[in-house]
Amino acid sequence: MTIFTVRIATFAVTALIAFGQFKPKEGEWASYTADTWGSRYRPLDQINASNFSKLEVAWRFKTDSLGNRPEFKLEGTPLMVNGVLYTTAGSRRAAIALDAATGELMWVHGEREGERGAAAPRQLSGRGLAYWSDGKEERILYVTPGYRLICLNAKNGQLVTTFGKNGVVDLKLEIDQQILPDITTGEIGLQSAPVVAKDTIIIGAAFREGFTPKSKRNNKGYVRGFDVRTGKRLWIFHTIPTANEPGRDTWLNGSAEYSGNTGVWTQISVDEQLGLVYLPVETPTSDYYGGHRPGNNLYSESLVCVDLKTGVKKWHYQVVHHPLWDMDISSAPIIADVTVNGQPRKVVAQPSKQGFLYVFDRITGKPIWDFEERAVEKGTVPGEWYSPTQPFPSKPPSYSRNGISINDLIDFTPALRDEAVKLISKYKIGPVFTPPVESKLEGPLATLTLGTASGGTNWPGASYDPDNHNVIAYACNACVTAIGLVRPPKEMSDMDFVHGTAGREVRMVTGPGENAGADAPMPTRAPAAAPGGAAPGGRAGGGGGGGALAVQGLPLIKPPYGTISAINLDRGEIAWQIAHGETPDVVRNHAALKGMNIPRTGQTGYNVGTLITKSLVIAGEGQLTNLPERGRGAMLRAYDKTNGKEVGAVLMPAPETGSPMTYMWKGKQYIVIAVSGGAYSGEYLAFTLPETDEKPASAPATGRQRR
Amino acid sequence: MRVAMIAAAGLMLAAGAAQIVSRAEEPARSVWDGVYTAEQAKRGQPLYVKACGSCHAGDLSGGESAPPLAGGEFMSNWTGLTVGELFERIRITMPADKPGKLSREVNADILAYMLEANRFPAGAVELPRATELLKQIKIEASKPESKK
Repeated sequence: MTIFTVRIATFAVTALIAFGQFKPKEGEWASYTADTWGSRYRPLDQINASNFSKLEVAWRFKTDSLGNRPEFKLEGTPLMVNGVLYTTAGSRRAAIALDAATGELMWVHGEREGERGAAAPRQLSGRGLAYWSDGKEERILYVTPGYRLICLNAKNGQLVTTFGKNGVVDLKLEIDQQILPDITTGEIGLQSAPVVAKDTIIIGAAFREGFTPKSKRNNKGYVRGFDVRTGKRLWIFHTIPTANEPGRDTWLNGSAEYSGNTGVWTQISVDEQLGLVYLPVETPTSDYYGGHRPGNNLYSESLVCVDLKTGVKKWHYQVVHHPLWDMDISSAPIIADVTVNGQPRKVVAQPSKQGFLYVFDRITGKPIWDFEERAVEKGTVPGEWYSPTQPFPSKPPSYSRNGISINDLIDFTPALRDEAVKLISKYKIGPVFTPPVESKLEGPLATLTLGTASGGTNWPGASYDPDNHNVIAYACNACVTAIGLVRPPKEMSDMDFVHGTAGREVRMVTGPGENAGADAPMPTRAPAAAPGGAAPGGRAGGGGGGGALAVQGLPLIKPPYGTISAINLDRGEIAWQIAHGETPDVVRNHAALKGMNIPRTGQTGYNVGTLITKSLVIAGEGQLTNLPERGRGAMLRAYDKTNGKEVGAVLMPAPETGSPMTYMWKGKQYIVIAVSGGAYSGEYLAFTLPETDEKPASAPATGRQRR
Repeated sequence: MRVAMIAAAGLMLAAGAAQIVSRAEEPARSVWDGVYTAEQAKRGQPLYVKACGSCHAGDLSGGESAPPLAGGEFMSNWTGLTVGELFERIRITMPADKPGKLSREVNADILAYMLEANRFPAGAVELPRATELLKQIKIEASKPESKK
């Protein structure tokens, strides 16, 4: 009997592999991006243009109690398999299972990591988890803030004791380096969801914000594959080549020895049929200063293709040489089968912070449309090493702003433009790849950039519509980052330069999620610091009423502030582009703009991810607005995916902070989205249609929906 | 409570806004009524720089992953709510590297500095430390017509 069962299971696994691995049902969402192709697409159509605005909240799940303090930065996208939602949540980063119809908590698993959790670089709830099944067993995998891989039985949330050591793999071990200074406090972690392809779990690495590192020396962000059944390490890919590996020579003066970071902190995509993994690699140590790492620095800011079974590199393409702009490849590569010049092509398309969509043949790594190595400006920061050229895709055109010219400045009125021109006179501006400057009081204070630290397209990434062969990408079109460099005090950092502004105290920049998780100790109250004890924020500090880079409180850059673009992969063209997001209050209510007819501007921000269904593109707003007719809130909007025309919207109590997903369960389609921010703590919101608008689940798609 | 009532009354007299005293149910005051003192904001400035500046920037313009604390986006987030809700958000979750570390006194001073940076007028009485009292102060992005 036992033998019989095993044989059936073996047969089932073979069958699944033959058909391209575990295929979730049409109504399920089994991986962070719906599949391992980065698509965020499900061909559901019960919720459509005719009824989207009638959506109602089906259930809500508040995450406050999953940790010792509420969290206001909920970024997860849940999975849904067979009527159960799985996700991470809360300041503890608990793994939870919810009833897909009601949101009822079915089980919860949390790891108390103590000092190790408290020291983790990326705390809080993370982006989600991974699901695996061989048709019999079901497993949930996630990475804790303290960088441990946890394997749970999906049915009850219990640790799978045959995996790793009692259900846990310590990711700070078997990583081909000694994590410094020690296992407990050594800087390395991960906030993204693991990906499971066939029977391999793939895990990247993340570090602290890289603006002001304490040292040019840091741990290295290698990528590893693990056996989903045993937790055994199968392979490792060195994102910084080791002594005898090719690419080591792109780190001059022995800098590969001590340089670190260069991890894969965002989502990884896999073509299971080809057995190929696509790794989007980030920036090496120090985001804006590379004087301690002369050379092109492979494989930083490269798309790397490795073998799923062995981790051996098949090809790579470095999209930014010698990175100086924090242009981490920040989101899931998109895998697509398209038709270019009449020929079927297997491509991988990489959205980016800098608004370029890099499109490659995913087997050979050759660009589908040629990239030109174009000469770029050489900077003047002492000790810096500059790449003379950078690659520019000939097609498609950039889908968001990636440089600043006078023409990009606010232009609602000539007076506002004049003020903006005056404001930027102390800064350096220029096109994409304009180098950072040493910050000087007399100017330039910094290089003003777009499409750098915040993006463009940041971690939520893009979606892919297999019906129309369009990449759908949200992008911030006005997220200005001022990149100035200053010499840090020796006791703060051994770097020659870190991010800062002349005339201001150099400060360590930390990110949210550092020391904010449930393992970070609840502090004892410190006495009030003595007034006057710290240096002032600089000349621009205080009374700004809108920060240093605003014009009368209005954004320095002209609209659209945020966009959604459809980029066609057959033609390499932008099919449509719209402003996404209600015009911000400050623009709608500004005295200087009274009586002007300003079209919807969209909003700045990088938390917005998109979802694609049979007929719609769905995305929430990243900012709150306050309109007399509907009060305070952020809209969840639906667009006709063929042309970007808005077809419906519903109000949410807080902005989108995690990308939406959809599923079908018991005849009803649901949309679930993470919202949080401001006064609103993290919550998963589920929308569905009111009972009266329900359609039978088995109803075939209508002609209207097929166009 | 008695002390607070006296303080509130004193503020209203100072602000010359006696006409709003009668409306007891909803927040009677807003950030336009001079709810902090210039002295308190001055105390708050270095405290802000020390506890908040590394993420939110010295000029409150925000950082890569910390939102601005002055200007349009900040006001959109908070208009319609109360100073008490903003105070609680700060008190429970900030500063991000040691949430809950700062005392109510320090938080109130920092909040006073933030109100000043957002160009709300100073008044004669300091921003209180009690959440219940702060919840009686409404955040309004635009100056109400009656107070112009």
